[in-house]
Amino acid sequence: MCGEGVVKVDAPQTGAVAPGVHADAARCRVDALVARARRERGVYGCVILFRRELDRFLRYSAQTIVSPALTTLLWFLVFGYSLGERLQEIKGIPYVDFLVPGLVMMALIINTFLNSGFSFFISKIHGTVVDLMVTPLTPLQIIAGYTGASVVRGIAVGGVIWAVAILMGASTLHQVGITVAFLLLTCMSFALFGLIVGILARDFDHINFIPNFLIMPFTFLGGVFYSIDMLPGPWDTVSRFNPILYMVNGLRYGMTGVSDVPVGLGLAIVTVSVLLCLGIAWWLLATGRKLRE
Amino acid sequence: MTLGFTLVGIEVGWAFVRKTEPLLSIERLTKRYGDLVAVRDLSLEIAPGEIFAMLGPNGAGKTTLIGCVTGLIQHFDGTVRVAGYDVRRDYQVTRQVVGVVPQELNFDAFCSTRQILIYQGGYFGRRRACERADELLRIFGLSEKASANSRWLSGGMKRRLMICKALMHQPALLFLDEPTAGVDVELRDELWAYVRRLREEGVTVFLTTHYLEEAEQLADRIGILNQGRLILVDRRDRLLNRFGTRWLTVTCDRKLPKPLKDRLAPFQVTFPGPDCLRVRYRGARDPERVPVVEQVLAAVRDAGMQVRSLEGGRSSLEEIFRNIVKRDNHPDAGAVVEPEGGYVR
Ligand SMILES: Nc1ncnc2c1ncn2[C@@H]1O[C@H](COP(=O)(O)OP(=O)(O)OP(=O)(O)O)[C@@H](O)[C@H]1O
Ligand SMILES: [Mg+2]
Repeated sequence: MCGEGVVKVDAPQTGAVAPGVHADAARCRVDALVARARRERGVYGCVILFRRELDRFLRYSAQTIVSPALTTLLWFLVFGYSLGERLQEIKGIPYVDFLVPGLVMMALIINTFLNSGFSFFISKIHGTVVDLMVTPLTPLQIIAGYTGASVVRGIAVGGVIWAVAILMGASTLHQVGITVAFLLLTCMSFALFGLIVGILARDFDHINFIPNFLIMPFTFLGGVFYSIDMLPGPWDTVSRFNPILYMVNGLRYGMTGVSDVPVGLGLAIVTVSVLLCLGIAWWLLATGRKLRE
Repeated sequence: MTLGFTLVGIEVGWAFVRKTEPLLSIERLTKRYGDLVAVRDLSLEIAPGEIFAMLGPNGAGKTTLIGCVTGLIQHFDGTVRVAGYDVRRDYQVTRQVVGVVPQELNFDAFCSTRQILIYQGGYFGRRRACERADELLRIFGLSEKASANSRWLSGGMKRRLMICKALMHQPALLFLDEPTAGVDVELRDELWAYVRRLREEGVTVFLTTHYLEEAEQLADRIGILNQGRLILVDRRDRLLNRFGTRWLTVTCDRKLPKPLKDRLAPFQVTFPGPDCLRVRYRGARDPERVPVVEQVLAAVRDAGMQVRSLEGGRSSLEEIFRNIVKRDNHPDAGAVVEPEGGYVR
């Protein structure tokens, strides 16, 4: 009988049906949207993503700014005043002054990393990353939105610590340009690093592992609390392979004028790490690795 | 001057060509997950203004297909174009045109319901998103929850919020991946009405569903996907005609005699009662033959019986769908098993 067993798609049937009664309205709509996409190119969307991320951490500013600042100030009190009594001076400057840039760096490294890392990872867990993946934002715009907000958080936390340290009697600002450059570039590289980890992480362990077992040790060994010139034997040389050392010392030079390592080299290293992380993040988002599979 | 005219000429010509262009065009799409082929060599075109329903059992590849169009899946073979733009090369354009309500519910723990919508509109470049957000919240009955954290919405409310999100930028091609899963009957009816209204406003709709009633009520065309293959696409009415079986119950004035029963043996006839026969037949017309109903009724009359009542009906899309999928999975199974009773219209 007719139709029996004809379970097969003939070519014409998959073609669009003759335009229906609403076809003209539909075409108008499409044309308007195409025109909008050509006009916008995702720029406004990128600004909105940045604002959303900003809003996210400002809403919880007690956790995201005040609490890290307080923790760091505790370090400052404990180390600055207990050790400071005994050490008095390091490389010709008061130990308290020496300590401030290190603590600022430590706080902003961890905070920028956690901000973009957690934010992206949570959106994966909650499934809202899908809402971002279907928008016209380009990989670079997504990166700009996330890292932009993270940099703001890093600067905010670092700024609070610095301001309080000044109030408590530390005097630190040697070269504004170098200071700002190291602050921004370090924030950017760890914001990007956080984003990469957020994209790749499959569970919370991954995202906790990196700060606890990678960033924290490297930061502690990166000359936050001491000058590597004080280290014995091979350790001062070994320390030189730690990129965070260059970031800490770069900022220390900007703030106090002393550094264990050449500042130019530090600037080069932090710039390369920004570019490297940017490249990896861009590649992950552009190819859709782990996100669009 | 000449150049200007030429350019205008091209523009005009191009616009003319576009008149007949499909809004969505999928060519030989194949998506593999390792050894598993989720979508196999699929071609399909959707015209502007259409409502298309894709049916298919769990794991057929419906969500995967939608993912390839909306940008959630980037690695596949074949070409997918929206409004003539390639979804991977010109994604900024195609994603602006497309809106999608994903199958999986999600929630943003950091924002209120209203804020989520405003951000979502913003990603698509929408200014003054507040008004649009409030309008959608009202339409979908979420106004009361506007400032609630979306984490605490009920499942059905989350589903509505997902729909609102997809509509924030007023897409022209809307994908609804099982939009009525977990939604109450009242909202389901409202949603269908809303989909029809969207179509009047020029929105082209592609929906997947397990509720065949939904496809039957809404769709202009229906596709059936099974194990990643598009096994059938047709207009809804034609599908019902081509594959639907009809049945007719004839109740006579007395007990059916044996010779009559013998004569009816070649047909698909059952005898629900001593004075009653039920025949199944295909809906489609076949000019080559005398219609089955005519032959059966002629036999009844030839036996000298009088017909006391006639009752007819036809199978629903649901049965058609089940049968087509069953046949596709077991091509050698032979005759289609028709469920008893059918679906009275
Ligand atoms: N990310 C993935 N990795 C591996 N396999 C996948 C992935 N996503 C889907 N699949 C497989 O692809 C096939 C098609 O899945 P898909 O989600 O498209 O089905 P569906 O038609 O939407 O089903 P349902 O009606 O249950 O929603 C399934 O066999 C599924 O297991
Ligand atoms: Mg699905």
